[in-house]
Amino acid sequence: MSKNNGKNEIYENQFPQPAKKQTISEMIYDPSNGAIFGRTSKSWGQLFLFYSIFYIVLAILFTICMQGMLSTVDNHQPKWQLDQSLIGTNPGLGFRPLSEQTERGSVIGFDIKKPAESDYWIELIDDFLKDYNHTEGRQMKHCDFKQTHNPNDVCVVNIESFGPCSSANSYGYKTAEPCIFLKLNKIFGWMPEVYESPINDMPSNLVNVINNTAAEERQQIWVSCNGHLGKDKENFQNISYYPRQGFPIYYYPYLNQPGYLSPIVAVQIKSPPLGTMLDVECRAWAKNIIYSGSLRDRMGSVTFQLLID
Amino acid sequence: MSYKPHLERADSYRVATVIATDDDNRTADGHFKSRRKMPTKAAKKENLDDLKQELDIDHHKISPEEMYQRFQTHPENGLSHAKAKENLERDGPNALTPPKQTPEWVKFCKNLFGGFAMLLWIGAILCFVAYSIQATTSEEPSDDNLYLGIVLSAVVIVTGIFSYYQESKSSKIMESFKNMVPQFATVIREGEKLTLRAEDLVLGDVVEVKFGDRIPADIRIIEARNFKVDNSSLTGESEPQSRGSEFTHENPLETKNLAFFSTNAVEGTAKGVVISCGDHTVMGRIAGLASGLDTGETPIAKEIHHFIHLITGVAVFLGVTFFVIAFILGYHWLDAVIFLIGIIVANVPEGLLATVTVCLTLTAKRMASKNCLVKNLEAVETLGSTSTICSDKTGTLTQNRMTVAHMWFDNQIIEADTTEDQSGVQYDRTSPGFKALSRIATLCNRAEFKGGQDGVPILKKEVSGDASEAALLKCMELALGDVMNIRKRNRKIAEVPFNSTNKYQVSIHETEDPNDPRVLLVMKGAPERILERCSTIFINGKEKVLDEEMKEAFNNAYMELGGLGERVLGFCDFMLPSDKYPTGYKYNTDDINFPIDNLRFVGLMSMIDPPRAAVPDAVAKCRSAGIKVIMVTGDHPITAKAIAKSVGIISEGNETIEDIAQRLNIPISEVNPREAKAAVVHGAELRDVSSDQLDEILRYHTEIVFARTSPQQKLIIVEGCQRMGAIVAVTGDGVNDSPALKKADIGVAMGIAGSDVSKQAADMILLDDNFASIVTGVEEGRLIFDNLKKSIAYTLTSNIPEISPFLAFILCDIPLPLGTVTILCIDLGTDMIPAISLAYEGPEADIMKRRPRNPDVDNLVNERLISMAYGQIGMIQAAAGFFVYFVIMAENGFLPMKLFGIRKMWDSKAVNDLTDSYGQEWTYRDRKTLEYTCHTAFFISIVVVQWADLIICKTRRNSIFHQGMRNWALNFGLVFETVLAAFLSYCPGMDKGLRMYPLKLVWWFPAIPFMLAIFVYDETRRFYLRRNPGGWLEQETYY
Repeated sequence: MSKNNGKNEIYENQFPQPAKKQTISEMIYDPSNGAIFGRTSKSWGQLFLFYSIFYIVLAILFTICMQGMLSTVDNHQPKWQLDQSLIGTNPGLGFRPLSEQTERGSVIGFDIKKPAESDYWIELIDDFLKDYNHTEGRQMKHCDFKQTHNPNDVCVVNIESFGPCSSANSYGYKTAEPCIFLKLNKIFGWMPEVYESPINDMPSNLVNVINNTAAEERQQIWVSCNGHLGKDKENFQNISYYPRQGFPIYYYPYLNQPGYLSPIVAVQIKSPPLGTMLDVECRAWAKNIIYSGSLRDRMGSVTFQLLID
Repeated sequence: MSYKPHLERADSYRVATVIATDDDNRTADGHFKSRRKMPTKAAKKENLDDLKQELDIDHHKISPEEMYQRFQTHPENGLSHAKAKENLERDGPNALTPPKQTPEWVKFCKNLFGGFAMLLWIGAILCFVAYSIQATTSEEPSDDNLYLGIVLSAVVIVTGIFSYYQESKSSKIMESFKNMVPQFATVIREGEKLTLRAEDLVLGDVVEVKFGDRIPADIRIIEARNFKVDNSSLTGESEPQSRGSEFTHENPLETKNLAFFSTNAVEGTAKGVVISCGDHTVMGRIAGLASGLDTGETPIAKEIHHFIHLITGVAVFLGVTFFVIAFILGYHWLDAVIFLIGIIVANVPEGLLATVTVCLTLTAKRMASKNCLVKNLEAVETLGSTSTICSDKTGTLTQNRMTVAHMWFDNQIIEADTTEDQSGVQYDRTSPGFKALSRIATLCNRAEFKGGQDGVPILKKEVSGDASEAALLKCMELALGDVMNIRKRNRKIAEVPFNSTNKYQVSIHETEDPNDPRVLLVMKGAPERILERCSTIFINGKEKVLDEEMKEAFNNAYMELGGLGERVLGFCDFMLPSDKYPTGYKYNTDDINFPIDNLRFVGLMSMIDPPRAAVPDAVAKCRSAGIKVIMVTGDHPITAKAIAKSVGIISEGNETIEDIAQRLNIPISEVNPREAKAAVVHGAELRDVSSDQLDEILRYHTEIVFARTSPQQKLIIVEGCQRMGAIVAVTGDGVNDSPALKKADIGVAMGIAGSDVSKQAADMILLDDNFASIVTGVEEGRLIFDNLKKSIAYTLTSNIPEISPFLAFILCDIPLPLGTVTILCIDLGTDMIPAISLAYEGPEADIMKRRPRNPDVDNLVNERLISMAYGQIGMIQAAAGFFVYFVIMAENGFLPMKLFGIRKMWDSKAVNDLTDSYGQEWTYRDRKTLEYTCHTAFFISIVVVQWADLIICKTRRNSIFHQGMRNWALNFGLVFETVLAAFLSYCPGMDKGLRMYPLKLVWWFPAIPFMLAIFVYDETRRFYLRRNPGGWLEQETYY
């Protein structure tokens, strides 16, 4: 390398200059150049401006994308339905009352001697049934099995037919015979394929119910509840279902009809054991409802626990 | 007069060249004298004192009888077997204790708990704690945490094992050097000659050594025949030294009656008594000293630590902050712990350290194929940050082969070809002057080619005999052809071999002309001595009287050649008149009975160990790369300077103080030392300078040659450079170089000429002993530093889309957009191969045209890299991920606004009927499927945006259109990550194993606008970077 090569000579064979050591206070504020945390306020300003512009542009890009996506999504019906959607075609069951405090899980527990505790659950049920109570001005039909059903019709759910599970009766909570309200999960466009005759897996009481039901009224998604664990089954002799032990088919399909209400089955557990946890599993029966009772992979069913002291 | 050759070993040809005597009164062997007087720092003192002390032995001083007494041995019968056994049991085997190795399990633990591993262990432990608490408090604990804990532990262990494996693989390279051919020694015990393994030798053993052997222990010689040893690995002197039974010097290294362990016998035979074994030998102590030196961290290790601290700091900061925020927001503490785990996992680039290891390994492999064998993986990069190279001369810069460089005959200097491949200029071989000169050089020469080298090029053939004679032999073989045949035709009648008093060699030959009955006397030797014996001179085919004018011409030529640092020999001949010396005349070589005066002077030939062909270019490359090349040699200043000039270490036009003084004709003391850019520093001067003065020399002279330095001075020079903040590479081959090799940031040992000890102390081994290989090493080192930056920038970018889902999960109460397992899939799966493939990326510009990085300022990971990766590209990636998340949620029923605040219900198992925007009710199972599908989609979208990230990370300044897509490893990486992502998403069973669900094809696309945005943004950024060099954008975003 020639000495005359001025460009290289600048650094040729020089030892590297060690970095200037800074004290901590200089790091925070360096009086020599007015730097705060290693940058002058101008430098901070420039950086801030750069990142502001950068993020504004990014936000705009994100917004455009979101708007684009939302424009492809319908407000009335989901973009993907049934098998196309991840919700699938296998509705589960839901139950009420359900505490809003998720830590309490699916336990319905109260002390019969403490009215406040049972009032808590009664209030939750009241809330849940509010929609069903105030149906004035809605386009609703009183449906029954004999009528032909128009898919867009909304059928009335008659909450007067719950027998002892009525609001007036405090849903049985004051008498230690609590009612649990079951409903089948709504899936847009889903139609049940009902069992018109009993099958082997069904519990005997459900078989009896089906056999005792008129043929035209067998167009139902049957429901059965039972003790989840062996010991609980013994405590499960005396259960009543209102208004009937199933969800009539005329409530389906759910098409996000305005004012649509899910059919409900009220399950009253009479004479539950006091002071012990009762693990209850309820299950919906239809040809196209697959059941799985495993803890992690529960399908076509629901569990809850009852603890009355 | 600046030409001051030194008096050296007695019977070397170099002695023949002495014309001046005003030297510094120091012999070449006097290296440790200088060591004693060397200015030392307190810390060093102890070490050097050690070195001095080890020489305080008296085995060479005492009489042989006393010695036999001391070792209870006998010169003829040797030790008794019993005594030998006893000694062996007492002293242990005669072998060097290998340097203390870190035990394997410690190395393994370091890999298992070093770096990010601790952070991940904490994550894993938190997982187990969370699980065990859940297990005890809840009836049906979710085993997610157990699962994640196991996965995290597995990750740490697997990456630990992997790094350990890589490390041990590279250290295995060294095993090949350790397992040298076992050495055997001939020992006399109980009067019987035995061949034993050298390890079994004990004190007092009588051993026989012959040429070609390696001296098996430190021995005192009791009988010798023409015995010569090569002490170069011990003292750095390359000339063989003769050894005999006489005690000649107080200093054990100089006395003739000692030969040292691990040096080589080159000529003759000898018998000696073992006076010290194994670690107690001189060699063993130096090796011990070297292994005791503290070496410090390699630059890349510092960088990686810096980087780990940075990332760990961010992880701990974010983790603790969000842990606290979670508490403030009223989360259950167990939830807060789970957030903490998530943040740690997202923050730690789990695969990165393995990636760095693989990148370094790949470079190490590539370097090995270019003759740089790297012992320590981290040293791969060290060479790249090297700012000073202290290079040996002999063998590294030069060919380590004396070669005839110039001839003077017919009153003109002719340049011979010294290149390795004979590609240089050719000279006229027909002139009578050359013919006469070549005849003398051919005949008055005892060197011969060793047998069995038919295919070998002449210059590479091995020769038995003195280096100078070998040079002449090769030169003549090249010029004339079959030398042996010429000698046969000119039968040698008599010969007076060279000795140090005569300083000439004479032989008498019959001539090949059958009609000429006269015999030819040929003589060579020290030029002035030869000239004294001549009365005529042969010029242009005519014999002229040697007048003053011719003497002047001779002197000029001699001075010129000597000034080139070359070893000059004079040649003369004489036809003995046949009447006085008829055929059959008895020539008496002891009492000379033939004329050796009034001869006919023919010419001069000068020899040098020429520089290797590739070296000048390599030195120039170092120069332009801003690397200071300092020559440190034990050789003579004149020779050193000549070589330095010819290879460009002292560049053309640069003057030393002496040169300036000579040019201006003023005394040296009047020259301002700052004016001289170059300096040739004599070891003798170095002895007397303080470290401040040394600093000054190093600072103010850009081109420095240290001549006549002892290896211990080399250590001081290295330390001096390190004091100046330089990262120093040192080359060396001798045992005595090993302290300097160890002390250097990167010690480079020679694969061919290097001693075992030096190889052990070094971090790198040049398999071809060629300086030019260092330059390729520098290039590779710099490239890997750049590429590691790119690799890290690439890997760190995906941290933001990994962390942000957790933050959103905590702050916005939305279902988790990206799970910990998917994060691991990115860090350890899809990101790995592309990150590694960046190691194959070619350089963007000529990396040898910029100065070495300043280790204080140019960090591997700096705030600009973080700003780019985290602040800019990472944010775009996060946007892409969230967009996909919202798309899938919305298309399945959960419109974006519905998601905010839904987290608690979403994650509650009790809620089996969560309502979406369309009134559909989702069971726990179904919405978890939806969530995991979102994780998968988020993961896929990270892969998609990482395509663009990978492509933009290929270059830091250039346009990708300029750089091209020729890195096929990287292209493969692109395909690989895509295929892996698709596999993870679509392979049946993944939903159970990794909670990855198959995606609709359209869900691959939402990330594409963001991918394009990354590409366009960065291409634009780099466009402005190139347009405005040094501008604001460069200062803030060029990493």
